[in-house]
Amino acid sequence: MIQLLTDHVQNAYHSLKSNRGRTLLTVLGIAIGIASVTCTLAISDGVRNMVDTQVSAFQGRLAVVRPGFKSHDPNQLVNPVTQQSFSTSTLTDADTSALAKLPNVEAAVPLMTIEGTIHAQHATGPNSVVLATTPDFAKVSNITMLSGKFLDDTADNNTAVIGVQLAISLFETDHPIGEAFTLRGQQFTVVGVLRQDSAPINFNNVDLNNAVVVSFEQGKNFNQGRSQIQQIDLLTKKASDLESVTKQAKTKLLAKHLGEEDFSITSGKAITQPTSQLFQAMTGVMTAIATISLVVGGIGIMNIMLVGVAERTREIGIRKAVGASQRAIVAQFLIEALIMSGFGGLIGYGFGYLSAFIVSVFLYFTPAFSWGTAGIALIMMVAVGLFFGLYPALKAARKDTIESLRQYH
Amino acid sequence: MPKATTSTPVIQLTNLTKRYGFGETAHKALDDVTLTIEKGEFIAVMGPSGCGKTTLLNVIGLLDRANEGDYHLDGKSVASLSGKQHARIRSNQIGIVFQSFNLIHRLNVLENVALPLTYSGIPHTKRLERASEILKTFHLQEREYYMPWQLSGGQMQRVAIARALVNRPSIILADEPTGNLDSRSSHVIMEELSQLHKQGNTIIMVTHNPNLTSYASRVINMLDGKIASDTSDAPDPTIPKKPVKVPLNHHSTKRSKEKPAKTPRKKTKKAAK
Repeated sequence: MIQLLTDHVQNAYHSLKSNRGRTLLTVLGIAIGIASVTCTLAISDGVRNMVDTQVSAFQGRLAVVRPGFKSHDPNQLVNPVTQQSFSTSTLTDADTSALAKLPNVEAAVPLMTIEGTIHAQHATGPNSVVLATTPDFAKVSNITMLSGKFLDDTADNNTAVIGVQLAISLFETDHPIGEAFTLRGQQFTVVGVLRQDSAPINFNNVDLNNAVVVSFEQGKNFNQGRSQIQQIDLLTKKASDLESVTKQAKTKLLAKHLGEEDFSITSGKAITQPTSQLFQAMTGVMTAIATISLVVGGIGIMNIMLVGVAERTREIGIRKAVGASQRAIVAQFLIEALIMSGFGGLIGYGFGYLSAFIVSVFLYFTPAFSWGTAGIALIMMVAVGLFFGLYPALKAARKDTIESLRQYH
Repeated sequence: MPKATTSTPVIQLTNLTKRYGFGETAHKALDDVTLTIEKGEFIAVMGPSGCGKTTLLNVIGLLDRANEGDYHLDGKSVASLSGKQHARIRSNQIGIVFQSFNLIHRLNVLENVALPLTYSGIPHTKRLERASEILKTFHLQEREYYMPWQLSGGQMQRVAIARALVNRPSIILADEPTGNLDSRSSHVIMEELSQLHKQGNTIIMVTHNPNLTSYASRVINMLDGKIASDTSDAPDPTIPKKPVKVPLNHHSTKRSKEKPAKTPRKKTKKAAK
């Protein structure tokens, strides 16, 4: 059996070699198909990796409480918080302090964003994002202080920390300590400059490098003295506490909200779920489109195999006359198709990653290798070879021996 | 010629009918053929074009199936066997030589000869060794790596015979093996076949050339799908029927003078004269 298999492989190799040109073109068709699938998957793996590293910045210690009714739609593709930006938040200051008092909680940080135009002496920053939060914010975010200090409990309401980009565009320096700016008619003094080390998908998509951070009290002042909490970040002391803390927090908040679950607590990868779901859906669509080119490549294989079968009708007859069974003929042609699709698949896999890296030059993330992608590429190349090779192979095997031997060319 | 009636016949055909076409246009290529072939016979099948000689050979060689009638090979009905078993019989028991040689042009002489061994599961090197061995007996060893189209017709037919024999089959079917050859090459081929006959193989050969029947131990004449005459039915086998009476042509005569008393054909020739 193995003997026959190696014979078929050798045989297929010779017959493919003797038709080098058209074999190459057929292989190219498959290669393009596999390449487009691989490229799509590699890029989406890259996106997933990026999202995952953001979550893992606080490896298993961070839970996020968001206001509003929890959506049960698994296909929800948009960030739930932005949807509710017009309505009043269901989370209150009392909730924050209650959560902070839970055992094993290191910090409960409320987040509130306001928009406003910043006027400095020589420049203005229109529509800047103002983030109002408590000093513990430094613990739950991956920021570095370039100069000065973050807001602390003793800080005046008139002080602010600004992002490094904003500092440069407002004051043309990244050391604007002591400089003043006006926001909503109130003057602020810069006490620190921060830099964000990675994009914060879990902070309401606020670009901290371009934001102003003020105290939570000051945020309430801007909002008619009421807090409008968009999110509470809960940081536990240990990663192993996360699950119990999430449960306790839920019980606590339910009690406070009179049994109405008008909030949602997410942790770990679930924080990024809306984002990942969006990317997954996009990946699905793009892969489906890429698969079309693979199908076209497969039809190419079928076409060329049918030509090969027609050309070699006589050879098939001879082989049968000297003792080849139908199964042996099927195997011979199927292996030929598989070699073409396999070869094309390998080239396509390499080419797919190559093009993914080329594309990533224009994107802000790098493609990632994953066994999943390799497996999908492998399964696809084998499936295409089998599916599109089977019909020509069966056609070859079913040819009438006598008729085949009569054919001349 | 005495018939070995004690053992089971190698090939037993009973009321075999093969039709082509349907209804009124149906044409019977084989019409109720009943034939018994014993082991070790050298049978020449003669007859005009379209009389069903080749169809008979194809049915015997399991390349084609009859519509009606029984075909017993070694006492076993072939109708009861699967396609896979047919393939195995073609591989191990039957060697077929075609008029048009039917070599695969992509493969060289050695690979062509080794082809049947592929399907009986013999390792590659061993296959080539055996093919080389058999080519040596056909004096084609120095042509091993030639491609088929680089050979003369006679050489190609010898390669085809070598291929038919490489699996050591007991039955050799030859469909006009000399039809595409000149008389000189024909003679060489016939010598090879009669050599095989002497080694105890059963040979069934279809031919147009009456001269070649002199090599055979039994001559069957066919007409319109029926067996018109059979030398084994003749009351006195020393008086064969018509086809053998045709005088041998110049070449064969010369040859037979060169190699006297080599084959049984001498007996028939004398009888003819």
